[in-house]
Amino acid sequence: MPLGLHLAGWSALQVLGLFAGVGAGVVVLYLLKLRRRRVAVPFVQLWEQLLADRPTSRLFSSLSRWFSLLIALLVALALSLALGDPQAGPLDDERHWVVLLDTSASMRATDVEPNRLAFAKRRVEGLVRQLGARDRMLLAQMGETTFPITPFTDRADTLLAALTPVQPTDGRADLDAALRFARDALRGSDSPHIVLVSDGRITPTAAGERALAEVEAALHWIRVGQGGRNLAISAFAVRRYPLDRSRGQCLIELWNPTERDEVAELTLVADGRTVDMQQLSVGAGARVQRILDDISGVDQTLEARLAIVEAGADRQPADDRAYARVARRERVKVQVVSEGNLYLQAALLLDEYLDVVETKPADYTPLPDAQVAIFDSFVPSTPPSVPVLYLNPASDSEAAPFPIRGTVERPYFDRLVRDHPILRWTALRDVNVKESLAVRLQAGDRVIAGDRGRGGTRSGAAGSRAAPLLVAGERAGQPMVALLFDPRKSDLPLRVAWPLLLLNTIRSFLSNGGEEVSSFRVGEPWRVAVDPDARTATVATPSGERLEVPVVDGRPSYRATRAGFYRLEAAGSAPETVAVQPDLHDEPLMQPAETFAVGSQSASPPRLRGASWWLDPWKWLVLAALTILAIEWLTYHRRWTV
Amino acid sequence: MSSNPTAWSWRWPFAKRPPSPAANDRAADLFDQRFQRRLEYLSIVSRRRFRGRLRAERRSRKAGSGIEFADHREYAPGDDFRYLDWNLYARSGRLLLRLFEEEEDLLVHLLIDSSRSMVFGAPPKLEYAKRLVAALAYLALANLDRVSVVSFAPDLEQRLAPTRGKNRIFKILAFLNALEAEGTTSTQAAMRTFVAQQKRKGVAIVVSDFYDPSGFEEGINTLRYHRFEPYVIQVFDPLEARPTLAGDLQLVDQETGVARDVTVTPQMLARYVRVHESYRRRIAEFCASKQVPYFGVETSVPFDDAVLDILRRGGLVG
Repeated sequence: MPLGLHLAGWSALQVLGLFAGVGAGVVVLYLLKLRRRRVAVPFVQLWEQLLADRPTSRLFSSLSRWFSLLIALLVALALSLALGDPQAGPLDDERHWVVLLDTSASMRATDVEPNRLAFAKRRVEGLVRQLGARDRMLLAQMGETTFPITPFTDRADTLLAALTPVQPTDGRADLDAALRFARDALRGSDSPHIVLVSDGRITPTAAGERALAEVEAALHWIRVGQGGRNLAISAFAVRRYPLDRSRGQCLIELWNPTERDEVAELTLVADGRTVDMQQLSVGAGARVQRILDDISGVDQTLEARLAIVEAGADRQPADDRAYARVARRERVKVQVVSEGNLYLQAALLLDEYLDVVETKPADYTPLPDAQVAIFDSFVPSTPPSVPVLYLNPASDSEAAPFPIRGTVERPYFDRLVRDHPILRWTALRDVNVKESLAVRLQAGDRVIAGDRGRGGTRSGAAGSRAAPLLVAGERAGQPMVALLFDPRKSDLPLRVAWPLLLLNTIRSFLSNGGEEVSSFRVGEPWRVAVDPDARTATVATPSGERLEVPVVDGRPSYRATRAGFYRLEAAGSAPETVAVQPDLHDEPLMQPAETFAVGSQSASPPRLRGASWWLDPWKWLVLAALTILAIEWLTYHRRWTV
Repeated sequence: MSSNPTAWSWRWPFAKRPPSPAANDRAADLFDQRFQRRLEYLSIVSRRRFRGRLRAERRSRKAGSGIEFADHREYAPGDDFRYLDWNLYARSGRLLLRLFEEEEDLLVHLLIDSSRSMVFGAPPKLEYAKRLVAALAYLALANLDRVSVVSFAPDLEQRLAPTRGKNRIFKILAFLNALEAEGTTSTQAAMRTFVAQQKRKGVAIVVSDFYDPSGFEEGINTLRYHRFEPYVIQVFDPLEARPTLAGDLQLVDQETGVARDVTVTPQMLARYVRVHESYRRRIAEFCASKQVPYFGVETSVPFDDAVLDILRRGGLVG
C-alpha cells in the first residue's frame, strides 16, 4: 500500500477486485448514459445557427462527461478502500484482551463518584473506544466467580452494551478463579493481555500465578478508588436462648480498617422495627466485638445497621448492614412414654413452647396430634409415625430400633460430631456413664457421639470396645435419635447438656433435618430444607425480583450475590426467610493498592492504539465519498456535469 | 417520434414514451358548446367595437354601380358616357370617368398550415390554429362574407368550397376537425397551387408557424402578385420560443427528420431564444415591407383574445 498504509480490513486483492467490479459497472452505466436523449423540435434550422460553435461545446461536453466518469470512479475507489480499513504505519499483531472487571463488595465504595464500579466502567469504556483495528476484547465479571459478559469481539457497541447492566455484589473477588478463566480464554492467542480493573486489594495464590504463567499474558491494572473513611460489620450472629426462646443473644463485631478513630452508631432492627440503638467507639485499625444480651421482640429477622456518627462520612455502604434470621418460636406437642423420670420431666419443662403429654408404657397409644415421641426405656410394638427419641431402648423385640448385642461398661464421650445440631452448645466429654447398650447399627445410622474404644470393658458379644452412645437415623420412615444408655445411670441429667440435648433433638426433628443457621454468606449454598418432592422453588430477592430455582436433594440450588433477606417458597413447604450476609474478608479496606503484581509480574497500565474516531482513515474515505456524491449531485442539477 | 414532442422530461433510454391524448378526444372538445358561445360573443363584440360595418360591407374600389362616389379615372373608349364628370371636364378640359364604390360580398380565404411542425405544443399549435380559423370564419360569415378554408402542407391538402351564411359554421367546424397534421411545409408551392385554383380574389389569411425550410417569402409574394390581400398570422408555442432543454440531446426535426446532436447549456438556450425572436422579427419585417398585416400569436394567449387583437390591429372588418 502506498503512503505507508496497511489494510486491516479486506485484503488488497479483495479491494482491487471490488473496485474493478464496481468500476466496470460504473463505466458501463456511463457508456449507457452517453446515449443522447432524442427530442423533437419543430424547426431544427433555428438550432443549426447555434451549432456553428459545435467544436467548443463538443470539447466542453467531452470534458464534462469525463469529469462525471471520474467522479463516479473516485467514489467507487473511496468506498472500496474504506472496506480495506487502511491504517497508517505497520499493523500490530492481532491482540486479545481479557478485561476482568472487579464486582466485589469493595467496588461499591463511594470514594470516587458515583462509586468505584461506575468509575471502573467508564475506564473500561475508554479502553473499548481505543481498540485498534486488530484488537479483540472480552469482558468478564470478576466476583465470587468469574464469568464472561461478552465474547471476543472488536465491536464497540457489543462491549459497551454489555457493561451497562453490570452491578456490584456483596462478596469477595476470587482472583485465582479469574486468572484461570483468563488463561482458558486466552489459550492459543498470539498476543494475550489481561486487564484487571480493581482497587487491587486482592492477592492471588500460587494457583493464580501458575495460571498467568501458563498463558504468558501481559498483565495490566487499572487502579480504582482513592481511599476514605469506613466502618464495617465484620461478624453478626443471633440465637435464641435455648431455654428461653422468647429472648435472644446477638454477637456483632465492628471493624475500623482505617487509620482514624471513629464513633459508630449501631442500630438493631427486628422484623422492621428498631429494637436497640447504641453508640460505640472503634479505634483506628481495631476490631470490637460486642455480645448483646436479652434481645426481645424478635420474631424472624434481625438486621444490624452501622453508620459513622458524622453523616455521609462512611464511604463503603457494603459493610454497613448485616442480616440474621432467628429460629421460629412454635409450640410442639411431645408425647413422653415413661414410667416416671423426673430428670426428663424437669428438662422438658424448661421450654415453655413444649406441650408434654406423659403416658405410662402400659397405657401407650400414639397420640394423633403429637409431633414428637420420647420413649424412656420403652420400645413400642409398632414404631410411631412421628420422629422418636429413644432413651435406653433396651428391648429384644423386633420393633426395637437396634438389635442388642450386649452392654459396654463405663463408656466415654470421646467421639463427638461437634457441628451436629443436636450437640450444639453441649459439653459431653466429661460425662460419666455407668454402662451403655452395645447395638448393631442399621444402614444409614450415624453415630453422633460415642466411645472410640480406648479402655473399658465390654460384655456380651465379642468385638471392638468402641460403642456408640448417641445415634441418629431413620426408623419406619421417621427420624430417630437414640441415647443408648439410661441417663439415670449417668451424671448427664446433672449437666447443662442434658436439657440441651433433649431440646436440640426435638428442634432438629422439627427442622426436617435442616440446620438452624442465622445467616448464609454471599456465594454460599443455602442449607435450607424444602419438601423433597418439590422440583423448583421460588426465591424473592431483597430487590423484589422473583427467581425460579431448581431443588436438588431437598435443597434449593441458589447462591445469592447480594446481602439481605430473601424469601424462599416451595410447594409442600412453609415459606422461609433466609438471611444472607456480605462475604467481606478484606473488602472493607478502603485504601487501594499502590501497585499490583501477580508473582513476579508487575501490572502496568494498558496502552491500546489510542486511535480517536477522527483518526481512522476509513471514516475519512467514506466522508470523502459522500462529499463527492453531494458535489456531483449539486453539479448535475445545475447541468455543470451531465 | 412522439406525437406529443413537448415532453421534455428526462427519460431512460429504454423507457417507452407516454401515449399522447387521443386525437378524437381533443377533437370532440375543440369546438364544444363553450367554444361556440365564445364565437358568438366574439361576433357581438366585434360588431359593437367596429361599428358601421353592415351587411356585405366591404367596398370594392371598382367602378361599380353604387351610389357613393369613389374616384376618377381617365376616360377610355368604350366606357359608359353616363359616368363622365362634365363639371370636371368644364374646369379642366379632361375627360374623367366617375367611379362609385361597389357593394359586393367579400371572399375570405383561410389557409391553415397542417404540416407536422404544427403538432408541436401542448395543446398542439394545429388545434389553436383551428380555433383561430374557426373564429375568423364565423366572424366573416356573420358579416355575410363568403368563407373558404384550405389546408396546406407541402401543397394544398384539403379544401372547403366557399360558403356563406352563419349556419354554415358547422360545416367549417367539421372540416377543421377532420384535419390531421402531416407532411412538410412548402409555403411557396402551396400558394402557387392556391392562386392557380382560385378565380375570385379576396382576403387570404394564412395561419401557420412559417417554419418553411425553403423560405416563406415567395409564398406570401405569390399571394400579393395575384392580387390577393394576404394577412399573416404566425402561431407559435411558448416552448418553441423559450425551450427548457438541457444536457446532451439529439434534436430531430419533426417534419424533415433531420437530427442534430447538441449539448444544451443555459448560455446556448439564451442564444436560441434570441435566434427564434430574430426569426419572428424577420417575418414581421418582411410583411411590413410588403404592407402585409402580420400577427404573431402565442398559443398561451386565449384564442378569443388573440382574435380581438387581430381584429383591432388588422382592420379585417374595417
